[in-house]
Order: sequence, then structure tokens, then C-alpha cells
Amino acid sequence: MKKIIFLTLLSVSIGLTAQVQQDSISINPQKQVNAAQRILSSNLNQKGLTIGGYAETHYNRASGENATLDVHRMVMLLGYKFNDRTQFITEIEFEHIKEVYIEQAFIQYSLSDNINLRAGLMLVPMGIINEYHEPTTFNGVERPSMDGAIVPTTWREIGLGISGKYNVADLRYQVYMFNGFTSKNGNKLLGGSNGLRNGRQKGAESTMNNVNFAGKLDYYGLLGLRLGLSGYFGRTQSDKSIEDIDGADVGVAMLGLDARYGYKRFTARGQFIHANITDSEAYNNYYGSDLGSSLQGWYIETAYNLLSQEKEQELVGFVRYEDFNTHASTEGNLAQNLSYDRNELTFGLTYKVATGAVFKADYQFKNTAISGSQTVKQLNLGFGIWF
Amino acid sequence: MKYRKRIFLIIFLITTQLFAVQLPKRILKKVDKELVKAFEKSNLQLVSITIPAEVNTQLGKKIGASNLFQIVNTKEVIGFAYIDKAPSKTDEFDYLILLDKGLIILKTKILIYREDYGGEIGSKRWLQQFIGKSSKDQLKYKKDIMAISGATISANSMTIAVNTFLKNLTILKENKIL
Repeated sequence: MKKIIFLTLLSVSIGLTAQVQQDSISINPQKQVNAAQRILSSNLNQKGLTIGGYAETHYNRASGENATLDVHRMVMLLGYKFNDRTQFITEIEFEHIKEVYIEQAFIQYSLSDNINLRAGLMLVPMGIINEYHEPTTFNGVERPSMDGAIVPTTWREIGLGISGKYNVADLRYQVYMFNGFTSKNGNKLLGGSNGLRNGRQKGAESTMNNVNFAGKLDYYGLLGLRLGLSGYFGRTQSDKSIEDIDGADVGVAMLGLDARYGYKRFTARGQFIHANITDSEAYNNYYGSDLGSSLQGWYIETAYNLLSQEKEQELVGFVRYEDFNTHASTEGNLAQNLSYDRNELTFGLTYKVATGAVFKADYQFKNTAISGSQTVKQLNLGFGIWF
Repeated sequence: MKYRKRIFLIIFLITTQLFAVQLPKRILKKVDKELVKAFEKSNLQLVSITIPAEVNTQLGKKIGASNLFQIVNTKEVIGFAYIDKAPSKTDEFDYLILLDKGLIILKTKILIYREDYGGEIGSKRWLQQFIGKSSKDQLKYKKDIMAISGATISANSMTIAVNTFLKNLTILKENKIL
């Protein structure tokens, strides 16, 4: 009988030992390692650790100006899966070589197959590019211009929320509470040219006095088609000393619709965004700015792979038309600035030499609503990678 | 008598441990659910198919003890089940391929998807594209299997996984394992 008990205990203990993983906090100080050491000493085969990244380098030459060359973005992704339910993802970004940001840093805990709890620095789900911005996933050297002036990509703030999927209904959902834009970012203000862009706090010592809400629904139930409906609602943040003053902050309500379609060698995508800004007149009076009371923009793009689908490489010809206005409406005495009412025609080639590596070339015609204004023509060249 | 009890206990301990190694409970539960739906029968048994080492080396992806199963209904083989993992962007997902007796795909299912990005491959509508495919078919993402915008890595990964499995079927048939 004793033998049987011993055998049972041995069997259970072996089973348990196999399941116990070494905790990152070691009792023995000599065995303690920090995150960097752990990654460096790894062990890339270590289960749970992910290293990835994306990068894009650009050459731009606009008519009447000299060319600019820029390592626009170099982003390194690090992820770690602690167990089947708990993941941490971060993206460390170098912009223009010299600016360092953390683009994402969030922890995700799966409550069930359909519900994930997320907290940290996350992307605001609005339109296509803000969430799917890796250079191999979109045509054109530069992101669509409205995904700069209206959706301030890469738009991220610290927040908390849930995301998940209901594959029975072919729906993905995301609902978050986020920290919002700041009314005044150092010397920079929200303004006419690029709307809310200057107000991004990016999770860097950000301040909060108003909670903002964001959500997105994606429907993928029709083969080849993906539809998105995004919403963002809240108010901008301001200092405690002025928060009760009229115009210290503005209300933001943004709605987005997007669609992506692919059939064999043909792809198309489009996006429409409308943002309503309340109290912009008071804001402009208080801060001395020219923020519009609504921003609106849309684009449509079609593309065709010129190479046979038997080949790994793709040579995609595309054309995109964008129309966006950061002074779609203004309040009070502020006159609409017609130079903020812009349209752009872009056509070019995306040469995917390998999965995850592209060369890009395109030509743009940029116009404003000012009558008689000269079209800016711009040549863009670049490459992008994602692994 | 005592001796028999001991033997029984030892065998019980060994088999329960082996069973646990073969298929995690969470996966087994989901597989059972899919079997009932696909074959409209309950109490189906999964019998592991062992691939000889010399055949395994010929395969595009090796098949272990807990990957390929016969689906048995009261001693009659009514189909086959293949359970494996494939990579997503930062993780792996578990998937199931059900075949009928003639080795034609009856159904595919994503059993466990662990990250947020790319989970759209669990779409019933998208997975339906694999139904009816056999070892004669060559599956290429975007060409034969429609793309999912925003889930390229996982959708491509699942297409490659199914295609590799179908190619393996040819080798298994040639070697008279199936």
C-alpha cells in the first residue's frame, strides 16, 4: 500500500513540476535577470517571446522644393506571452531617427474566447490606417494625408477596455476608455491646419481631467469584404487651474466608416471620417487659435496586381483620390480657410519583392480650394519592411 | 487480488497521463463539439494514427501522436480529424480539419485563437472555402482562398497549414497509412 501511495505522489509531483514555470522574480539574487538580459540571453526559441518590427524610409520631392530623405519610422516590436491568457505587447518607435516614442505598450488578458481585457498605451481604433499602419499593408509611400490631418495617426493614448470577436456573427468589437487630447501641448495648439493632431499626448506624462470613449465594430462576414464603423467621443484635457473657464477645452465627436475589399488581383479600400468639435469658438477666443468646428474627409483607392498570382512577388498599380477639409465648418467670426480644404490624387506602384518587403513609388497632385492656386506635384519613393 | 489492483492503478496512472499529453482538455471539448455537429452522432471516438518515422520524414510537416486521428463510430471509421497549431502574428493558434472517409475536407475550425490581431480567420464564412478540398487541390492565399483585410498573417498561415496537410495526405495515401 505504501508503495502505491509513493507511486501516486511521485506521479503527481512529476506532473506538477513540469507545469511550474520559473517566475521572473527569483529568490536567489544571483539568478535575477532584468528584461533586457532575458531577451539578450535568449533564447529566441523561448516560448512566449516575440520580436518583430517595421520600418519605412522615404524620399519626397515636391514641386518648388528640394528633396527630403528620411528614415521616417523604425519600430521594434517586443511581445511576451506569460501564459495562454496573458500577453504583453510593446512597440518602440524611432521617428525621423532622433525622436523616440513608445507606440504601444499594453497588457491583454483573455477573459474568454470572445472577451479580452486590455490596458495600457493602445491605438485608438479609428478608420483603417491608425490600426493597420505597417508599410507593407498600404499602398503609397506616405499614409493618406487625411490620416494625418483628421485622424491623427499614429493616434494612441493610455486607456482601458475590452476587445474581441464573435465569429458566429463575423464581428470584431473594441470598446475603450481613453485619455484624450490635451487642449494645449507645450506651445502647440489644436488648430486649423491639422485639427486635433497637436493635442496628442501619446502616453508621455499625460494629464487627464476628462475621460474619452472610443469603439469600433468590424464586420467580415462577406468574403473579401471588411467593413468598419468607428466612434470617438469626449473632451480635451486642460490644467486644473483653468478647466472651468469657457474655452479651456473642446468636445470631440468623431465618426468613421471604412471598407476594404479584395478579389484575386484586385483590391479597393475607402474611408469616410467626420469629426464634430463643440465649443471651438470659445477655444479659439481663449487660446488664440483657428480650430474648425468640424473636420471631414474621405478617400477611395483601387489597386491591381500586375503580376501572376503564381508568383510570390506582387507589382501593384494603384490610384487614390482624397478629399479632406479641416475647416469643414467654423464657428463665430472665424472664416473658413480655403487652403485647409484639400484634395489629392495619387497614383503609383507598390513592388512587393518578398512577403514583408516592399519598394514604393508614387506621384501626387495636391490641390486646395483656393481658386487659381497652383497644384503641388510631389514625387515619393521609398521602401518598407515588416517582420 | 492485491497484485491486480496495483497493476490496474499503475496502468490507470500511466494512461491518464498519456491522455493528458495527447490533447488538452480545452481542445478536446471543442473537438467533440465539432464532431457532433459535423457527423450528427455522439459518442464518437478519436483513435490516434501513428506515422512510422520513415514516412514522417517525407512529410511537409511531421505528424505527431496527437495530430491525426481516425473518427470511429462503433468500430467503423467514418472520417479523420487533424489537429495542429499554426503561427499567428505573435502567437500560435490551434485548428481542426475534419475529413470524410474519402479524405475530402468536411470542415475546418479555429479551436483556440490567442491574440487579438488576425482572429477574423475564425469566420465561418471564410473557413467554408476549404470545404470540399482534397489532396488534388493546390491552395494559394489570395488566388484560391480569398484574403481577409487586416488578418493577412493568420489567413495566409491557415491557408499554408491546410495546403501542407493536403499534400501530406497524398504521401500518407501512397504509403497506405490512410
